[in-house]
Amino acid sequence: MSDKKLDFDFRERLNKISGGSHHNYCYQCGSCVAICPAARFNEDFNPRDILLKTLLGKKEELIGENSIIWKCTNCYSCYERCPQDVRPIEVIIALKNICREDGVLPETVDKFSETISQTGRSVVVNPTVNRRRSSLGLPELQNVPVDDIKKMLE
Amino acid sequence: MAEKIRVTPFWGCMIPVKYPQMELSVRKTMEPIGVELVDLEGFTCCPDPIYFKARDKIEWLTIAARNLCIAEEAGLDIITMCSGCTSTLLEVRFLLAEDQELKDKVNEKLKKVGKEYKGKVKVKHIVVMMRDDLGIERVKASVKRPLTGINVGIHYGCHLLKPSQIMGIDDADYPSILENLIQAIGANPLTHTEKLLCCGKGCIDDEMPIDMTYEIFASMEEANVDCMGLICPTCFNSFDMGQIIIARKKEREFKMPVIYYCQMLGLAQGLKPEEVGLHMHRIKIDKIMEMISKPKKVNVAV
Repeated sequence: MSDKKLDFDFRERLNKISGGSHHNYCYQCGSCVAICPAARFNEDFNPRDILLKTLLGKKEELIGENSIIWKCTNCYSCYERCPQDVRPIEVIIALKNICREDGVLPETVDKFSETISQTGRSVVVNPTVNRRRSSLGLPELQNVPVDDIKKMLE
Repeated sequence: MAEKIRVTPFWGCMIPVKYPQMELSVRKTMEPIGVELVDLEGFTCCPDPIYFKARDKIEWLTIAARNLCIAEEAGLDIITMCSGCTSTLLEVRFLLAEDQELKDKVNEKLKKVGKEYKGKVKVKHIVVMMRDDLGIERVKASVKRPLTGINVGIHYGCHLLKPSQIMGIDDADYPSILENLIQAIGANPLTHTEKLLCCGKGCIDDEMPIDMTYEIFASMEEANVDCMGLICPTCFNSFDMGQIIIARKKEREFKMPVIYYCQMLGLAQGLKPEEVGLHMHRIKIDKIMEMISKPKKVNVAV
């Protein structure tokens, strides 16, 4: 027997995250699949299927550091093509935000984001960077106001 | 004398830290065509539209809005040199205009650092500023050494064009902005099958990005491209460093020079390769310089 119960609590939670509520508009046409480069290069990735699982509230298949959602290339082709304004990539990003809330963010994402919160930049500036810049006649890079970021995110 | 354009450059992280040659090429090429770059203090990472946005969208919106505020307070519009920065800043601008509740929420956080986002500042990728504000003719007029005979394989990247509802730059399926800018410097924009394919940098996978860039190189090779032209530092990483990885993993060397548009513009304006930092690229551009210094002879019937 298949489990036919829908998990509305999960969908309600997703609805509250910016970009998450548009999943309700999906009518499973599959336009997103045809244009998706991740689907072309990885047969396990299928945005229509991700949306179906979202509609069914299958949280355990979507949320996790090894979830298929992390194979999305973030190219926005599905957003471009979707006739229902689902903005599938934004739904996928909202699902990723839930991964963070549940503490199951992939290490790469967590580390990279933490560098931004802690230094204000996504790439760390070291003396080699400034030497390369001065060899081109460019000014040294100054620190950015990371305290502002910390204050806002408190 | 045509009017000068004053804008503030939003350099982002990848360009000033990893690929300063791109910053150099922008600084060197913009002045001669009438663009004054007014550097402002206080910008941070845009922040990136992939990982940081995946972690927390509200935090992503807030940091981006703070960056927009800095330009807004100075009364200057922003030009971006990276497609990722373009994507973040334009999308945040769009979302905060679309959703008042979201804007209030973000402004509540901005208040902690004495800022308020009003939504007045405009953001344009540098190539869009060249097309729309400067005009292709002024780009053309700055050319001293046209890149005649050089076949450029364009790589659009994803975030300049999509979603067109937000970016509003060009037709996402049949774009022409880069073709026109490449023609303006005398080179020949060649179309190829995978011109619009994503470079794959945004997915977390060991194989997919390599397979995707490989397809793009194969498609350009088939079209007999001399070099690749692009406008995004992340794509550049995928293709310049990427060729080293492809050579190792797929045992295939494409030896395809990868050039950022403003570096190409610099060459056309008569600058030496080192003056736009082309010596810093992994894949050497000697082949291109040879073509520029010895243009193909045109046979004239006597």
